[in-house]
Amino acid sequence: MEVWLVLLLGGALLCALQAIRAQRLLASAIWLAAVSALVAIALYLIGAPQVAVIELSVGAGLVTVLFVFAISIAGEDAMTLPAAVPRPLAIALVILSAGLLGWMTLPALGITPPLAESSFAQMLWQERGLDVLVQVVLIFAGVIGVLGLLGEARAARTQVVPGPLPEKDGAAHQQEVHP
Amino acid sequence: MSASALHILVLGTLALIGVGLYGLLAVRNLIKVIVALQIMVKGALLALVMAGAAAGQPNLGQSLAATVIVADTVVAVVGLALAVQVRRHVGTLDVRALSSLKK
Amino acid sequence: MANGFLIALVIGLPWLGALIVWRTGDTRPERQHRLAAGFSLAAALAALLLLTAPGDSPALTLALGGLFGDFTFIPDGLGVLLAAIATVVGSLAVIFSMDYMRGEAALGRYYALVLFFIGAMAGLVLSGSLLAMFFFWEITALCSYALISFNNDDPKAVAGGIKALLITSLGGVGLLIGALVAYAYTGSYQIADLLAGTEAIPPDVLSLIAFGFLLAAAAKSAQFPFHSWLPGAMEAPTPISALIHAATMVNAGVYLLARFYPAFAEVPGWTTAVVAVGLISALMAAAMALVAQDLKRALAYSTISQLGYMVYAVGVGGVFASQFHLLSHAVFKALLFLGAGAVIHAVGTRDMRQMGGLGRRMPFVRNAFVIGALALAGIPVLNGFWSKELVLEAGLAGGPGWAFAGMLVGAGLTALYTFRMVWLVFYGEPRAALHAHDATPAMRFSLGALAIGALLTWLLAGPLGHLFEATLPHHELHVLSTGELVAEIIGAPGTWLALAVVAAGLALWWWRERFRWLAAMLEPLGRAAEQDFGFEWLNARIAGATIGSAEALRTTQTGLLSWNVAGIVGGLIVVLAVLLLAWGA
Repeated sequence: MEVWLVLLLGGALLCALQAIRAQRLLASAIWLAAVSALVAIALYLIGAPQVAVIELSVGAGLVTVLFVFAISIAGEDAMTLPAAVPRPLAIALVILSAGLLGWMTLPALGITPPLAESSFAQMLWQERGLDVLVQVVLIFAGVIGVLGLLGEARAARTQVVPGPLPEKDGAAHQQEVHP
Repeated sequence: MSASALHILVLGTLALIGVGLYGLLAVRNLIKVIVALQIMVKGALLALVMAGAAAGQPNLGQSLAATVIVADTVVAVVGLALAVQVRRHVGTLDVRALSSLKK
Repeated sequence: MANGFLIALVIGLPWLGALIVWRTGDTRPERQHRLAAGFSLAAALAALLLLTAPGDSPALTLALGGLFGDFTFIPDGLGVLLAAIATVVGSLAVIFSMDYMRGEAALGRYYALVLFFIGAMAGLVLSGSLLAMFFFWEITALCSYALISFNNDDPKAVAGGIKALLITSLGGVGLLIGALVAYAYTGSYQIADLLAGTEAIPPDVLSLIAFGFLLAAAAKSAQFPFHSWLPGAMEAPTPISALIHAATMVNAGVYLLARFYPAFAEVPGWTTAVVAVGLISALMAAAMALVAQDLKRALAYSTISQLGYMVYAVGVGGVFASQFHLLSHAVFKALLFLGAGAVIHAVGTRDMRQMGGLGRRMPFVRNAFVIGALALAGIPVLNGFWSKELVLEAGLAGGPGWAFAGMLVGAGLTALYTFRMVWLVFYGEPRAALHAHDATPAMRFSLGALAIGALLTWLLAGPLGHLFEATLPHHELHVLSTGELVAEIIGAPGTWLALAVVAAGLALWWWRERFRWLAAMLEPLGRAAEQDFGFEWLNARIAGATIGSAEALRTTQTGLLSWNVAGIVGGLIVVLAVLLLAWGA
């Protein structure tokens, strides 16, 4: 199992790097879907089949569709400009924080034998009822977000181009705009 | 799950989170910022399930991870809707253009 | 339980009314006036019914889970008394507003905020949980801010509102810290648990809680050194000044001190600090009231001064005396403010130098105002006389001599500034050609009801004392019936001493021409009082320093997402490093 994990997580890492490095947004989204799929398989391997299925369908499926949809509305807008934060500083910050986290967690790792536990469905619906309630609110926010996206698609088609502002000295340069 | 698998998972988690963080710091395109966020969340997902398994409560870890997936999807949706609006009103997806409130 | 239902009505009716008045819309002002008056009167009725059904255990409990504890509401003596004051004075202020605010814009906002405030004030005094109390405490501060700045196109009103909000929020922080620390040591947010469990709290921690609450009380009740927001709050419409800044919200601080007196009385230095705060506020504000030219500001300074008396009373152990004076003050000061409102409404200015001789043209307002002024000055047999004597007697019995002497001087100053105010407004020769008309019916109703209250509320002393004794298990009160109280006050030498001082104050004003030399001698003091004893300057410096540092820090805000994330990651690294160091140690 360790070998499989190394392969899966290594692959996910490579895909993640590609997703960040890709110039085209569409490519970035596809690489992200790959990360999601590989992580889902890893989740399945370590004994979380339900979450793996959700992640595969939602993370790799739905979210990717949303990305493609959004990119098709917003356009590619490729950017080769330099980053705002200097690259060495960014790398240093990342290595420092991840390193500290690793240093703190790795020595403390241990495995407890499985405890008596309720089933996944029971856990989700009964013992964490409040969380589910909050999720409903979250999903509602998500729906509104989708509506925003869809409304955008409609608005983009009926957009009105505003004419230049009239100048102060008179209406000589004023243009009539007929959309 | 064996101890070595646990170590591999922790390292994988940290690597994914690190890559996501780097993306947040280095990327200027708003949609790619959301991609970077998604990568970080994948790491968190892995960490939750792993912690549940290591603590002997896999179902607790799973149910938390399910919650995170929902939240994460909503974040992506709202973020993308925002990005599209920004593109429309500002004309670019560059995060630098969003600092116009200053001044 | 029946009284649980009543509590829900007292808090819920004004809030429901706020929503309905707001939804009614400003296109139907008549309906807004009537709805607001109806809901506030209904709440007042519920609060008066609640007075007949007190109790010392939670009557209404909202279970909010393990994190916040239960929000309980207890109809004990302190709570129901203040809830009744809030709703009754509130409804009178709303009725007064029906004429005062006629024709104003944004009536929906006005009435919604007033009703929201009335409900929150009742909730504040009835809640038995520290967290619920904090919640209502902040709502009252918010309403106060929004109503001070009601005329939001007037920069002075906006500045006054923000000043009030900043200072009272600072006090709120003291309350929150006290509540959280108390929770950390007693494991409960219930006030009763804190009062009963003070032995479980280490002395240092208890004094932190005690002084946190004192900070909250001083800021809320506009006491030294946080008094400077109250004069600025006078930009609010006058019914608001009467309701929030004289009769109810400013009492919340005194209420807090009275409520927790049994827990903190043993904290070293606490009672002395409370006495000192009360004394300094009473004397300083009285001096400022003496030189104020603005009618409402003079009343505001007088409020600070009278609140100082109540704080002093708590400090010397006279919890009942302080609450009795609170009741008297709420009635006569609301009367004075509403009377001042009627005058300002009629003549269109707040400057006392332009008034004068108004008494002949508005006799009803004059009569009401004079009753309130006599009560404020402490003339028998009005309610202010009995309660002030009770406060002074408590001070003589349980407090240091120097404080008692100071408070006696304060009583003389009170009489002096009260007579000056009445004279400048209603008597003498008219100093400017002002158009004036007497009060309109709704104004007359409120003024009349409050004037009758100022004449009669002292008769409630006995029943109130028994109510307190029956429902406040942690307070040690010695209770007398009204008759015994009257006999005791009349028989006490302190009373005659105080009356002599009051008479001296009156004489000083009457023969003020002969005392020119005294006025000349005190000239520098008067000038310092006009300058607010330097507190305005201090406030301006503090505000300037805060704004300056904020401007300096603004450069760190690039507004760039990447740098924000860098900041967050930097913060994470610092936290991790601290954790690592803590683990290593």
